[in-house]
Amino acid sequence: MNSKRHLKVVGDATPVASPTPVAEAARTRSALVGHLLVRVGRGDEAAFDELYTAVAGSVFGVALRVVRDRAIAEEVAQDVLVEVWRSAARYRPEAGSGRTWVLTMAHRRAIDRVRSEQAHTDRLRTHGAKATGSHDDPDTVVDIAHREWEAQRVREGLALLTDRQREAIDLAFSKGFTHREVAASLGIPLGTAKARIRDGLIKLRDAWEEER
Amino acid sequence: MNDTNGDTHSLLGPYVVGAVDDMDRKTFENHLRDCVDCRAEVAHMSDVIATLVDAEATAPPASLRAKVMEQAAHTAQLPPTVAPSARADSSRKRLRWPLAGAAAAMSIAVAGIGMFLASTVDAPDTSALEREVMMVSSAPDAHTMELGLGSSHLVMSERMGGVALMGLDAPEPAEGMEYQLWLVLDDGHMVPGPTFMPDADGEFMAIMHTDFDGVTEFEITEEPHGGSGVPTGNAVAVVSL
Repeated sequence: MNSKRHLKVVGDATPVASPTPVAEAARTRSALVGHLLVRVGRGDEAAFDELYTAVAGSVFGVALRVVRDRAIAEEVAQDVLVEVWRSAARYRPEAGSGRTWVLTMAHRRAIDRVRSEQAHTDRLRTHGAKATGSHDDPDTVVDIAHREWEAQRVREGLALLTDRQREAIDLAFSKGFTHREVAASLGIPLGTAKARIRDGLIKLRDAWEEER
Repeated sequence: MNDTNGDTHSLLGPYVVGAVDDMDRKTFENHLRDCVDCRAEVAHMSDVIATLVDAEATAPPASLRAKVMEQAAHTAQLPPTVAPSARADSSRKRLRWPLAGAAAAMSIAVAGIGMFLASTVDAPDTSALEREVMMVSSAPDAHTMELGLGSSHLVMSERMGGVALMGLDAPEPAEGMEYQLWLVLDDGHMVPGPTFMPDADGEFMAIMHTDFDGVTEFEITEEPHGGSGVPTGNAVAVVSL
């Protein structure tokens, strides 16, 4: 899986047999994670081991994306996974899928960590490079969309966004910018930043939900 | 959904993708409690974030699994949060957490010492309780003291962040009363803990998650069924630290 992501090139439009194996696997895994969480909530250590196998790659991956340091990403992933163990009994299946419960927790913790590591102004200077015209940061949203976000449906969904929506969502998702920082970094009004984020998310939801 | 909430609603997208500071997060989460539409929308949109997270999957360091399993083995699990209304047929249990009113009073009382007891308002299931008691009593830093209520003792562990009570041959409290655990703080404040009842054989078990900053004594009193926010009965057992 990891080796494949480096083969992706800009404009890769190779059709994938449908329904995509990625979607199929995601659906199966999503149901599995929910079941495992319920068992983990009862103190089932074997279930926790299986749960680790199912989610650790995503938990570590998103931490790495956001904090950009393997050692810190490993710490974040460890915190998240132990928190999953600790609070599994609080997971309520009726409120959403177990996969979403775990993975959004992972994303949020990674953001909390990067915010505490770096002063906001520091991040703005490093990554909010638009105003200065710098292209030094290799992890631009274009790279992310076309090179690294590997699943076909993820690419297809992202392709539906305008560049501006993608840019706003990427600053928030990958860099941990608040909407105020997104607005400041892109030199746009706050309301516009909020709308770009929300409209982008709605498009992605609409693109992906029939496969869930 | 009303007009005065327009601005709060507009935080939905940023909230879902984590693009809110602590203050905005709190504002929006308060709003979520009252807004069914936003709750549904957040649940729905959060799946988008999960998909973006999945797309980042990469092999974690080989050392991670062992570290996680090791730390989990020393981490007590939280009991489930139980809705107070769904308890119509709940007969008298061996152990009972204080009901909502006491829990609310408690959350005010404990705000200063960082406990998370208040969200649990009814009895956790017995096996979860036994597991938690076991985790505290088997912690590497477990410290055991005589409790003096029948043949009983109290075990505390800083590392597990909890105190467990276990006993045999405890006398029955008076009719309509239960035992309740209290933390006595150095300023004289009494922090309410769980209530518990010995079974027919006088056996009991209870657990309280807490840190021990400023705690000078543990005290057991008899309280009316369901427990109290401040002690009303005399101490039947006292353990000084």
